Amino acid sequence: MPTKAYKTYLSLLAFTAPALILYAIFLLVPTIGGMYYSFTDWNGLNRSYDFIGLGNFVEALTDDPDFVNSLWFTLKYVLFMIVLQNAIALVLAVFIESRKKSKGFFRTIFFMPNMISTIISAFMWTFVFTQVLPQIAEKTSMLFLDQSWIGDPKYSFVSILIVSLWNGVGYMMIIYLAALQGVPQSLKEAAIIDGANAFQTFRSVTMPMITHAITICFFLTLNGAFKVFEVVFGLTGGGPGRSTQVITMNIYEEAFSNNFRYGYASAKSVILFVIILIFTLVQITVMKRKEVEA
Amino acid sequence: MKMWTGVLTTVMAASLLAGCASNNTGNGNAANTGNAGGDSGSGEAKSVTLKMFVAQPRLKEHYDKYIAQFTAKEKAEKNIDVTVQIEMPPADNAAQILKTRLASNDAPDIFALHAINDIPSYYKAGYLEDLSDQPFVGKLLDSVKPAVTTTDGKVVALPLETLSWGYLYNKKMFADLSLTPPTTLTEMKAVVDKLNANNITPFLLSYKESWIPQLFLPLAAGALINTEDAEKDFITRMSNDEGSFSEMKSMFDVIDLVNANGTDKALEVGGDDGAAAFAAGKAAMWLQGPWYAETILKSNPDLDFGVAALPINDNANATMINLSASTSLAVSKTSKNKEVALDFLNYVLDDTDSNAFFQALKFNPIATVHTFDSYPWVNDATEYVKAGKSYQDPAIPQAVKDEVGKDLQSYYAGQMSQDEVFKALDKAWKSFNKVNK
Repeated sequence: MPTKAYKTYLSLLAFTAPALILYAIFLLVPTIGGMYYSFTDWNGLNRSYDFIGLGNFVEALTDDPDFVNSLWFTLKYVLFMIVLQNAIALVLAVFIESRKKSKGFFRTIFFMPNMISTIISAFMWTFVFTQVLPQIAEKTSMLFLDQSWIGDPKYSFVSILIVSLWNGVGYMMIIYLAALQGVPQSLKEAAIIDGANAFQTFRSVTMPMITHAITICFFLTLNGAFKVFEVVFGLTGGGPGRSTQVITMNIYEEAFSNNFRYGYASAKSVILFVIILIFTLVQITVMKRKEVEA
Repeated sequence: MKMWTGVLTTVMAASLLAGCASNNTGNGNAANTGNAGGDSGSGEAKSVTLKMFVAQPRLKEHYDKYIAQFTAKEKAEKNIDVTVQIEMPPADNAAQILKTRLASNDAPDIFALHAINDIPSYYKAGYLEDLSDQPFVGKLLDSVKPAVTTTDGKVVALPLETLSWGYLYNKKMFADLSLTPPTTLTEMKAVVDKLNANNITPFLLSYKESWIPQLFLPLAAGALINTEDAEKDFITRMSNDEGSFSEMKSMFDVIDLVNANGTDKALEVGGDDGAAAFAAGKAAMWLQGPWYAETILKSNPDLDFGVAALPINDNANATMINLSASTSLAVSKTSKNKEVALDFLNYVLDDTDSNAFFQALKFNPIATVHTFDSYPWVNDATEYVKAGKSYQDPAIPQAVKDEVGKDLQSYYAGQMSQDEVFKALDKAWKSFNKVNK
């Protein structure tokens, strides 16, 4: 028997090998390399560099206000994204699921923005924010539309949220749709017979039954929102100044403009990695506990 | 199903191989054509493969043509078969690719780099060959040479693209109101008032990309360093962690004037939008260099614009043009074909062929061998240079330039005060010193 088990593993490995090898070469090895460089003061150019232990990490967390500010800004963004993205996606999914006709139509419409690459949608929206909205404001005298949408830090956060949501909601919606369709009709009918109204049915039957989808969607949003880059890059470039700079942008700036401090930027990336790891681990363990099986 | 997969795999493998094969032939052909010109020579020819790295894909045909001329010449004069492999990545990530090559000991024999931004760090890392005693050095114009000279007086690159800039102005608008480019800040205020009185917005503001507001710093600092005795050694003092940007407080006089008399929503307008707006006559002046000339003329071929020097105070002598160089060619210190590489660099400023090459590239004249007519806006700037009203782009570290762009954005948005800007700049320069000690 043990030989057979061994053979099963071997054939499993053989099947995953092409992907695994590519993954190892192009992702795993560079990641480990990056972690190694995070303990050095390499500048990306010199042949020699020094090993400086935890110096980079200490500097990032204690002596780099720009990094800490970008960290807070990212956290704020993550919080808004988790709540809004999931709430809107769930509402849309329930709405579409409740339609008798034209389900496919609405599903396609809402999913469509997700198929446009993020950076392109950011550029599209730049045009909308800078050209279209002011024009509409002028023509219709809806003056509140005529704001400095991407130039004023007060509004640019909203603009970033709008574009991220527009782009990301569709994907979450599809996951919720699939989950909603998996809720057994019999349970809902039983609830109705017991005298529950639509809201009660949703809260006590549907919600628990789709917790696994919520876990996945929270995970995806959390993970994605921490790593947000293109939207901000395309819309505001982190500006004006650094007022909308997210953490990935701060890392990018450190590594590829400023002083080319690759080692220091790697250390910041490792910090980001650890933060995401902790957040997702906590999120998954907490939410897994709440899942129920039908 | 299984059979289909098999067929599919075979097809894919075959197409992969075919792809490789066609690539090979492609390279082979290129090499052959490169050599074709030089076949006239006789005897045992030495063959050399020269690797080049120039991040200007838009100019590929001109380079190819010039390289073909070079290989022919090299064959005829020295009986060397030169095969040139030229690599032209897009400018955005060229620096990354080049750095990877250098760091992994795979340096191209000749590579292009940015004169002001890259030379100091590349030279310090020991990648650049000393070219001081090469014949081409003697041909460089005096106004260009300092940009490719290191602090210890060695010429390490050959400048290709040079810039002479201040701000752009709409000549027609100026002529209609019979204005001339002002020479002092007071005169500038009068010009601004007159433009305002005639309902013309004086300045086009395009601050979305931080490198545009950044332009204030080289202009203001360059002028102050070259006219105020107290600031003469500003760069040296800053490099030694002495001195502070607060000495340059007066630079905000002109920044405030420009910001107060500019177009709306500056932080939403990028460089290209700015060029279109300037071409459409939305404002009379734009703080920008002539490198946008092509874009401007594309959107309005009839626009008559010129380059003028930005006044920063009431000293008319401080109103000067900024001279700087960008793309430059350097030779790798580890090159195995140094002799041929140096031949090529000298050929770039060849007495007979260089003129046409630079004209085709649409670069400015940089050497005594260049006699072609340049563009009107280049001539505007040349007038200043001839009158001695120019200075070399001050060697402000790139990190500080990046910082000032962001800070001036924040300053415009009202999030930072002048003192905070100075503090941030001092800090950026200090951390640059720390990293590059």
